Amino acid sequence: MKKPVMGFLMLLLWALCAPSWAEVQHIGKVKGTNGIVSIQRAGKMIPAFPHMKVYLNDMLVTGSDGVIGLLLEDNTLLSMGPMSRLALDKFDFSPAQNRYALQLRMEQGTFVYLSGLMGKLAPYAVKLDTPAGTISMLKETNFMARFPGDE
Amino acid sequence: MNRICCFAVVSMLALVGCSGKENLIVLTPNAGGTAGAMELTNEGGVVTLDQAGKAIIVKGRQAKPSNLVDISDAETRALFQDALNAQPLAPQSFLLYFEFGTENLTAESTQLIDVILQSIHERDSRDISVVGHTDRAGDYEYNLALSLTRAKSVRDLLVERGVAADFIQLSSHGEGNPLVSTADNIAEAKNRRVEVMVR
Repeated sequence: MKKPVMGFLMLLLWALCAPSWAEVQHIGKVKGTNGIVSIQRAGKMIPAFPHMKVYLNDMLVTGSDGVIGLLLEDNTLLSMGPMSRLALDKFDFSPAQNRYALQLRMEQGTFVYLSGLMGKLAPYAVKLDTPAGTISMLKETNFMARFPGDE
Repeated sequence: MNRICCFAVVSMLALVGCSGKENLIVLTPNAGGTAGAMELTNEGGVVTLDQAGKAIIVKGRQAKPSNLVDISDAETRALFQDALNAQPLAPQSFLLYFEFGTENLTAESTQLIDVILQSIHERDSRDISVVGHTDRAGDYEYNLALSLTRAKSVRDLLVERGVAADFIQLSSHGEGNPLVSTADNIAEAKNRRVEVMVR
């Protein structure tokens, strides 16, 4: 029990020292991809590769053989299977100013979501729009979801 | 009877999983093994999902969400296999301790360097932060310098072992950020440390 608490405190300290997120700053990074994966950004489709930064308003799109893993700046871990679409609508992780927001739009596909610091410190700031309705967190929560869409 | 019902639910779910158009949300345990809690709200109603290994099935935004149903680990794995394979490793943090007044790692912490390198390689990490700290023995300025020297010595150890210096962000907090609070001028081994975060 002691170790996870310790790790959490260290993450929190690190987060308090990190700068607050202005709009031009990246909100996460691509950690791994396989197959065809793209980022739709400012109307353009660009191929996604590991270590690429992702920004607010990006839409991640996987092809029929594509998968992607993502690490957001608050340590939220997200991965997507094939034929999936995810929009990064809101992100503000500023513990020093006590400001939190995470809003994602899961339009279609399969998702694995592992809560990060945002889910620990401010679960109510996490909202996910999905084809099934809106998910809001009551506490730190991990989940998987499948939204088949019309393929 | 119960077993038959259970079987029926599972087979229905298997059908949903294979061919249905239904949306499916499965709660999975948190790192400590506890379950979180979420609320799904749509035009058909509100459902709270707060038990790990349970799922809700929803036809669409207008449809009333199902009550909580069981879903087996095997089926969850089958449905989410591709996304699970793409799941990144969680960030990891380490504490390294130092001999009093020096930038020399304790014998125990020296052995942690290999573990940190392994963590960096497993994650193919380019985002490693190294933060130096001291205890409150000695004055503030001295400790600020010492905490930076400690952080640099850890960076150098990692760089010597093949980690690109560009991937490492250095910072130092002197005596200002202790793990264990003490009065001024007290030596405290737990505060003579460098935190390494591998993301």
